[in-house]
Amino acid sequence: MRLAVGLILLAVIGVGIAVSLGGIPFGAPKTVIGDHYVDSARDDTGATNVVTSVVVGYRAFDTLGEVTVLFVAALGLGAVLAAAGGGGGRSGVEPASLILRVGNAFLFPLILLFGAYIFSHGHLTPGGGFQGGAIIASAFLLVYLSSPGKRISATRARATESLSGLVFVVVGLLGLTLGAHNFLANFLPKGVPNTLFSAGIIPVVYCAIGLKVGSELAGVVDGLMEETG
Amino acid sequence: MVSPVVLLAVPLGLALCVPLVGMASRKAAGFVPVAASLFNLVVSVGLLPDALEEPIVANLGGFAPPFAITLFAGPVGVLLSALVALAGLAVSLYALSYISEGPTIRYHTLYTLLLVGATGVVLTGDVFNLFVFFEILCISSYALVAYVGDRAGTEASIKYLIQGALGSALLLIGIGLLYGLFGTLNMADIAARMGSVDPGPVFVAMVLIITGLGVEAAIFPLNAWLPDAHSSAPSSISAMLSGIAIEVGLYAVVRMVFTVFGASSMLMFLVFMGLLTLLVGELCAFAQSNIKRMLAYSSIGQMGLIVFALALATVHSVTGGLFQLVSHTLSKALLFLAVGYMVYRSGSMEISSLEGMGRRMPLTSFAFTVGAFSLVGLPPFIGFPSKFLIVRSALAEQGVLLQVLVGLLLAATVVEGAYFLRVIQTVYFKKGRQQEARREAPAVALFSMFVFVVLIVVIGVYPNLISNALESGASELLERADYVRSVLG
Amino acid sequence: MSFLHDYVYYIGAFGLVAVGLLILLVKRNLIKLIIGLSILDTGVNMLLISVGYITGGTAPIFSRPGLSEGGMVDPVPQALVLTAIVIGVAILALALGLAVRFYKNCGTLDLRTAKELKW
Repeated sequence: MRLAVGLILLAVIGVGIAVSLGGIPFGAPKTVIGDHYVDSARDDTGATNVVTSVVVGYRAFDTLGEVTVLFVAALGLGAVLAAAGGGGGRSGVEPASLILRVGNAFLFPLILLFGAYIFSHGHLTPGGGFQGGAIIASAFLLVYLSSPGKRISATRARATESLSGLVFVVVGLLGLTLGAHNFLANFLPKGVPNTLFSAGIIPVVYCAIGLKVGSELAGVVDGLMEETG
Repeated sequence: MVSPVVLLAVPLGLALCVPLVGMASRKAAGFVPVAASLFNLVVSVGLLPDALEEPIVANLGGFAPPFAITLFAGPVGVLLSALVALAGLAVSLYALSYISEGPTIRYHTLYTLLLVGATGVVLTGDVFNLFVFFEILCISSYALVAYVGDRAGTEASIKYLIQGALGSALLLIGIGLLYGLFGTLNMADIAARMGSVDPGPVFVAMVLIITGLGVEAAIFPLNAWLPDAHSSAPSSISAMLSGIAIEVGLYAVVRMVFTVFGASSMLMFLVFMGLLTLLVGELCAFAQSNIKRMLAYSSIGQMGLIVFALALATVHSVTGGLFQLVSHTLSKALLFLAVGYMVYRSGSMEISSLEGMGRRMPLTSFAFTVGAFSLVGLPPFIGFPSKFLIVRSALAEQGVLLQVLVGLLLAATVVEGAYFLRVIQTVYFKKGRQQEARREAPAVALFSMFVFVVLIVVIGVYPNLISNALESGASELLERADYVRSVLG
Repeated sequence: MSFLHDYVYYIGAFGLVAVGLLILLVKRNLIKLIIGLSILDTGVNMLLISVGYITGGTAPIFSRPGLSEGGMVDPVPQALVLTAIVIGVAILALALGLAVRFYKNCGTLDLRTAKELKW
């Protein structure tokens, strides 16, 4: 019965989307704003990665909202798990194998370095704050898997999270007071394109996002691991 | 003149500070949402005179529209943001005493972020930005519904989350189709280009977007999550959800239908759906024995009434719809705040357990009575001018169909009066089983309830205080060409 | 056949959306519902990205001095999907936390037992 209703609903939605996609031919250029972004990104923001200049330059407010969504989810997860009465600790887990322990000791700093490379070069190569932050969180996941008793300090993680978020908001408000008198407008020098210290506020914002997302996701992993043992 | 972006940036910054403040002192963390909503209230009221004359358009990042994200602070936007801030202030004061156990620091952070999300939805002029702030609103409400650790809260939150996430996936598909068809994400730009594309694909995108936003706006049949969620959440959050979240969701639907799509074909359908929602909501509310569930179904009914009024699309009916929106926020929030402490003291959410509350908690029961009478639409409370305006504007339209619809509307109001009077009779005229001493709600909670009572009475007696602003808001919603001109020049 | 070849990305993305929707409408186990949500999000993101493709275009990054602006795909859907992926992850994380708590409270992952709140 539910299957039948589900299939009918799906058929209706499918027909609808097919009708709509008929008006959007695949591969044809159909954008008004995209061309402008590709043409003017290097002059307006100084970044050579156009996607980054869209994410942190033209549509930076959306990125602020996105960072906030992740913040809300991490808080919500903490609240839900806290109300569930905490975890029973992870006493029943057997210790990790030799390969995992040695591998972790070797790989952990390399993964952190790679994550930092990704978020600091967001304006030059594919990548950015969220990708780098996720890589950093996976480094912490490796630590939890290989050393079952280890914990990162929850206060330090939360402090990093809040402070890096505040850096993003403060950069925005500084744009309001200095620079072009607009929220999240660029007020730092744009520098020479394709070098590390270029693109104005973009590396600063991405570093803040990278640290925030890294500590946030590490906290989420920490909370879930504590809960389930 | 301040840029409207501070209405979003400053509370967001304060929300990020709450964990830091909480590390120093747990009690102090509760004052940060108070500060944030007070700031928003002061700035919104300060911006209102300017916004009524000429809508304030802020292009973020310093680029020109449509290449930048625009914030459109017109009469409706600033008025709704002031309403959000006002309700947020009163409920955050209430929460200082009501929320005392559990992860309170996270509660206060999530609460501030809920306000940020709601304010963002009403102020934005960009379709994808609407999606992002809408998600902030929704996700913080999923987490807050589950704040009380019991089984009912968890179930309600899961059902709400799954339906909400399904809705937001459909919304995102709609936005993607919209971008593919028009090549731009700015609401004014899409409105300006609406004539240049086939209506068929656009209709599909519109239906998907309305369905996605309609889950949060509680339009029938997308409101299955609402009774569970609003009754299992802590009462301060029920007040915010019923008073702010569903109104803001409805605003998003209206903004998309009126301004972006300009769809006059959908309007008659929405009129019927609104009336259907009203009837379903009120009849189900009549059948409830759990007071918070009854109030939740009443919210569904009132949303239907507001959709009915807004979809009639004349200046007077839209003014009535906006007036009813304001009146519902104030009345329903007051009802939930009063019920919060009444349920807490009696220990159960059944209406029968509220016997004798009139004697035990006289001030709280008085606040409940004011809220109930206002919602039903009795003078001298705010519900009267709003309902009167809706009925009068509907009757001014030609057609027997509308006379029938108005008749059904009045029948629903009678049902509403019946179930509220039943509760008031239980509260005042039934003898309580235990002869308990008089024990009122804490002073802070009473203060926030009386802020609402005063506003309900004052605006009810002098509706002209806000009816000018509401009329400008109505013409802003209906005049698409003016909107496009203000943003794009 | 050429229709299939031209629109394979749209069809694939819609296929994922369809699978996700079907799982959400039919299944009862909470973890399966969350996986369905994840598949639905993936499908929607794929649909968004395919909308932005321009035939013959390359990634919009000026990594070498010789690249011209004409031969690049649309950067905007990529920015939108970046945000949408993060929002999807956020919802998933919260859903998993709620699933853990549901299991603790009710001892089962079957949503059929969530009948405490009814009419």
